Formats: sequence, structure tokens, C-alpha cells
Amino acid sequence: MAVVDTHEKLLDIAAAADILFWPVAMDFKYRDAEEMADKSIDVCLFSGAVRNSENEHIAQLLRGKSKVMVAFGACAQLGGIPGLANEKRRQDILDFVYHGSPSTASQKGIYPQEITSVPEGKLKLPKFYDAVMALDQAVEVDYYIPGCPPEPARILEVVDAIVKGNLPPKGAVVGALDKALCDSCPRKREEKRVKAFYRPHEILFDPERCFLEQGLICLGPATRGGCSDPPRCIRSNMPCRGCYGPPPDITDQGAKMLSAVGSIIDSQDPEEIEKIIDGIVDPLGTFYRFGLPASALRKKRFS
Amino acid sequence: MKTISIDPITRLEGHGKIEIFLNDQGNVENAYFQVPELRGFEVFCLGRPVEELTRIVPRICGV
Amino acid sequence: MDNFEPKIIGFYCNWSSQMGIDSAGVEGASYPSNLRLIRVMCSGSVDPEVIIEAFKKGADGVVILGCHLGNCHYRNGNYNALRRYRLLQKTLEQFGLEKERLRLEWVSVAEGKRFAGLVGEMTEELRRLGPLRQFS
Repeated sequence: MAVVDTHEKLLDIAAAADILFWPVAMDFKYRDAEEMADKSIDVCLFSGAVRNSENEHIAQLLRGKSKVMVAFGACAQLGGIPGLANEKRRQDILDFVYHGSPSTASQKGIYPQEITSVPEGKLKLPKFYDAVMALDQAVEVDYYIPGCPPEPARILEVVDAIVKGNLPPKGAVVGALDKALCDSCPRKREEKRVKAFYRPHEILFDPERCFLEQGLICLGPATRGGCSDPPRCIRSNMPCRGCYGPPPDITDQGAKMLSAVGSIIDSQDPEEIEKIIDGIVDPLGTFYRFGLPASALRKKRFS
Repeated sequence: MKTISIDPITRLEGHGKIEIFLNDQGNVENAYFQVPELRGFEVFCLGRPVEELTRIVPRICGV
Repeated sequence: MDNFEPKIIGFYCNWSSQMGIDSAGVEGASYPSNLRLIRVMCSGSVDPEVIIEAFKKGADGVVILGCHLGNCHYRNGNYNALRRYRLLQKTLEQFGLEKERLRLEWVSVAEGKRFAGLVGEMTEELRRLGPLRQFS
């Protein structure tokens, strides 16, 4: 849907390209994709992570039909917010969704099945995997467009690059910079020595100064820059949440960030250190917010 | 029994499919709507800091 | 858990903890062979990513061994280890990895017996917890 956010420039995109498959905006069916010749799609912008067998099947199908496969957005690139489900076990998710949740009118023992027989025939559902995967854990990916969501201006730049044949070597993250966000952050940086970490509502913070220095966790040091200039979240007085994924050469965004946060804690007293760390109430959700499936903590689809 | 399969439903956010079973007269015997997606937002939101929720749940739809 | 022999990876620093481990040998304080040791220059140099990698590659437990606080050969390295280790431990606990699987211990040259004791204790604890299943 981020493509629709390009507003009237969508017409430019439509003029530059034949749209062969876009179920969210036009009435294409999976059958249409199946009937295409291999490599007949020049570029596929694939959004969403891989959670079930249907996601995987469509990813493989479109990979076969496409010359270039682009992981579009944080879910495809990193697993995204739905990747937080990897904190839980598959059965625990099914149990809560179909039985435990207070708003579910559940029937005892009923869970979705891959095949259900009804009087008229059989109904099929995909297999719900044990874990969420980023797109490149299921198929070969040529490029990544980061962001949750990707910025319309960056999308237009990438479409332009595609049309002009100006793409970098395969595997690149496009529409982004090759440095951490801090490099393009307009905030003042003095010294990083932190005696406490805060949640955003707990303090009135200085709108000109680095968030981390004030005890607010900002993922800037472990996040790729280039989302917008100045970075939108920072300009809106909120710390970076990490949606662009790690900077180049960093494989695990979460581990790098937690390392950075650990090193700015200004204390040599074990008890005080413990208290300061307690101020980070959800470390997994903070450090691995968008990238749990792509990180070193990735899980396999079947156990 | 003839089946008409609408897969996926389109022009909306989210995954869905419809199986329509026709009888010998060509009339609809039954139709089933299925949602072949589950992400577990209701589970992984539990225990998160409340200020995270306003940034997590919009990703349910994303439009 | 029958026949389960936990694998423990121990990152030990080149200074106090190396001497402590050597002392265990000299004093005849034996420790289970479940522990495989990897030498680093400083406990503070053990990257959280390396610890995660150890778990993914089959370790059921990881222990980091360094100089006592205040005695780090590089002055502040072990404080860095402490801060990052506690953050990592909390993060991994949320991921379902029990906190007993990751330990940070300060070992001095005089603590050979104590080192051997803690390895034995950790091995027992891991036998009780069972193999690490989070990544399989």
C-alpha cells in the first residue's frame, strides 16, 4: 500500500510499467500468476513476511515468474512487526487465538485444519509454520527496499532507477544510505553516559539533543539511515524504532543495539547497573522490534 | 460438484478466499469464506509496554 | 533427562580467569568435560552475537569468565561484560532461553576449586533443564 502513498505519482509508475499482478489494488488471482511464463515479470515488489505455506508458495511462484525479486518493506526484508510472534511458540499462538482469547467464541477442540471436509467437498488452508521468516529465507532476493512503511519518495527513486537500468549490484538495500541513522541525525550529541532509561512518557525530553543521551532508547546507532532527510521520526520528536534494519555489515541489529546500550550505562556498581537495566522494560521488543526473524535469533519453520 | 474458487479476494488488505460449490442444476449449493492467514498479533502484544501498542497494531492493516 | 550431556561453551579471559582455570588443574580440582573453553583477551570483548551463535551451534549453556570487578587487566572491560551480559540475558529470557543457561563469573588465580565447582553446578543445572530447544 506504500506504493499508493505516492499519490498522483502513481500514474507515473503506471505509465512506466505494465502492472501484471497486484491483488491488493486490482483484481488479479493466483491463477493469473501461475499462467504467466517464467521470468515474464521484470520486477516483483514483494511485501510481507513468510508465515505459512501459502506465503511461501506465492513467494516461490513469483520468484520463478520474475527476473528481479525485491523484498519490499520491513516485513519482507526483516520479518517485521509480525516477526515478534517468534517470541511465542506456534501452539501457544493457536491456543490463544482460537480458545484463550476473551473475545473468541470458541468451540472445544476446534482448530483450523489444512484440510476440512464439508458435505460439498474439501476446503484447504495453508500450513501455519513454527516461525515467521523474512523473504530471503524462503527465496532468493535480489534487492531490498526497507521501511515500515517504505517512504513514497524512496519508492519513486527506486522505480526510476529500475526504469533507467541504474540498479546497484545484487543484494543491495536500495532507497537507503550505507551508514547508520546517527550519521544523518540533526540532534546535538554531547556525551553518552546514562544513569537511567526512560519510557517516552516518563520524562520531558530536550527536542534538540540525542535521545540516547537522555535515556530514551533510540535505535539510530544500529539502524540504516536514508529514510528521509531529516529522519521523520526524529523530526517528530520520537526516537528511531529501527524499521530500516541494520546498517551494512551488521547481521544482528538487536545484538548490536543492546551492546551499544550496555556500553553507555554510566555505572560500575552491579546493583545500580541492574536497576538501570530494569528501566528497559521490553528488551526483546525494543532491540529486535522489526528484525527478529532476520536476526541471529531466527527460528526454523518446522521444528 | 462444480467449484468456483475466488483466490485471493482482491482490492482489500488481508488474505481471503471463497469456495463456491454448485449443484448439478448450476445453482449455489454452498459457499465458504476462508481466511488463510494468522499472524498472532493478539498474542505477541500481551506483555508489551502500552506505548508500543499504538505502533504495533496499525501494522495489522497497514493501509 | 537420560543420557543427556549438556554442552557448555566457556569464554575465558586471558588474565585472571586463565590463571584460575590453570589453578584448578594444578590443585587437582576436576570439572566435567562438558565444558569447552575458548580464550578471549577480555570478558568485555565477548560480543552478544557470538554468545547467540554459540547457542545456535549447539551449546546448551554459555559461561563467560573474567577478572573480578576492579581487577580487569584492561581496567573497565569486565564492567562492559557485566552490562551487556545482563541486557542479553534479559533479552534471551524473553525469547524463552532460561537465564541459567547464560552465566558470567569472575574467577581469580586463587579460585581454581571454585571454578571447578561452578562448572559442575552449571552442568547439573543444564542436565535438569534439558537440551536447548529454542533454535531447533
